[in-house]
Amino acid sequence: MSAPGSLPLPAPRAAAMAGGEVGTPVRRWLGEATAVFVKDWRTELRTRHALHTLLLFAVTTLITVSMALGPLGVSSGERLAVLPALLWIILLFAAAAGLPRGFVQEEETHTATALRLAATPSALFCGKTLYSASLLLALEALLVPLYVAVMQLPVVSLGLLFAALAAGGLGLAIGSTLLAAIVAQAQGRGALFPILAFPVLLPLLLLAVELTRGAVAGSVGEGVLANLLLYDGALAVSGLMLFPIVWNP
Amino acid sequence: MRHFWHWLLWLWIALAIAGAFLYAPLAKDFIGQSSRILFFHVPMAWGSFVAFMTAGVWSLLYLGKRQLDHDRAAQAAVEVGLLFCVLATVTGAMWARVMWGAWWNWDPRQTSIAFVLVFYAAYLVLRGAIEDPDLRARLAAAYAVFGLVVAPFLFFVLPRMATFTLHPDAVVNTRGKVDVDARMLQVLLVSALGFNVFFFWLHRLRWRLLRLEARRAAEGLTMMTEAQP
Amino acid sequence: MISGGIVWVLAVNLVIWTGLFLYLLRLESQVRQLENES
Repeated sequence: MSAPGSLPLPAPRAAAMAGGEVGTPVRRWLGEATAVFVKDWRTELRTRHALHTLLLFAVTTLITVSMALGPLGVSSGERLAVLPALLWIILLFAAAAGLPRGFVQEEETHTATALRLAATPSALFCGKTLYSASLLLALEALLVPLYVAVMQLPVVSLGLLFAALAAGGLGLAIGSTLLAAIVAQAQGRGALFPILAFPVLLPLLLLAVELTRGAVAGSVGEGVLANLLLYDGALAVSGLMLFPIVWNP
Repeated sequence: MRHFWHWLLWLWIALAIAGAFLYAPLAKDFIGQSSRILFFHVPMAWGSFVAFMTAGVWSLLYLGKRQLDHDRAAQAAVEVGLLFCVLATVTGAMWARVMWGAWWNWDPRQTSIAFVLVFYAAYLVLRGAIEDPDLRARLAAAYAVFGLVVAPFLFFVLPRMATFTLHPDAVVNTRGKVDVDARMLQVLLVSALGFNVFFFWLHRLRWRLLRLEARRAAEGLTMMTEAQP
Repeated sequence: MISGGIVWVLAVNLVIWTGLFLYLLRLESQVRQLENES
């Protein structure tokens, strides 16, 4: 697939590429990343397999949690401690159920080889991560309002909630993309993913829960958002560096 | 004498143990004699960190040179590191029982050591799930290099980030000052050196064993293929 | 059982060092055995 011609190039990058073919490698790279992103969404929309898996998994877990807590739910004094944690546990498990498919499918249908030839690994990683992130954000957009309504989560600061969902979702997407690429090449893929991914994603979860608690309490401890973004950044950098090693035989 | 340094190490460790029980004073604000466990708990935690960093470095070396022997070194380091990490966790939990009244209470330190434990246990599970030696080495090495980023975050950033912890200040605390009684610090350093040398001893042995096992497996394979008509 | 006393600290130490020592011996003997075989 070729790059859409109308991709805007960030000004500093274009300036840095001064000389002959202005921005061609960057343009090609961006084109590849977009192509992967578009391809994944196109196959996804054809079957809606991942979206259905994620959403149904999340809703079923939400029903389970809500039902198990009984008709009265969590007493108002304990909501701050309990509800944000349960929300992120639901999101984590939904991600673990739905996200690894991206790479497992490429290996199973033997399209991975074609992808290896067609795309630069880092561009592929970015495209896949963006796809996972958008999938997760879509899930959050559907699930969180439902969760807030059903569980009576009293959100005070919408800004903090959005920050937690965005930064947490992005981190989940980055981490699980790298680990899904590892898991897809091993045996026992389904069971292996949570084992490998959770230790990496748990610190992220801890910070996201803390931030969501901030959204309920109205304020959050200093540096929680910064640390969450820092962890996202560390995951992104190590993902970009390690993905080519994981991907290329 | 060939094993001179072995005897030296045992002597050194005996010195550390004697120092911990006879020479070092008790720490302030600690219940009874419980602070004496720290001379073993802290060096084991450091030792496991050194082990995991060693695994990361060998993995980087493997990714650079693609020698399976380097991959075996990384595996050995993770195995011995996990042993130290479990011991540090258990001694920590015992100390927590004395000081805080509960074996486990998700103090930030306990949280991060639990994450470290499952991360490196997952490394071994990953190895077990891949049969092809080269693929196994490559993916495991990538995971261990990932650990070079995750482990320092868990060992150093996460515990210091928490607003509330019962765990005593680390020896080099947030203010960047060494804030411990001089005699305690001496014993701690002696013990830490002992544990680290001991780690490298165990590591070398485990590595040699893995190498021998790999060689024997390869020999078995050639014997089998030669036996074929 | 576990309290401010010194007994459990000594006991834990004993267990750790005997354990580590036995692990070392086991590794040594396994290495020696495999080296003799080949």
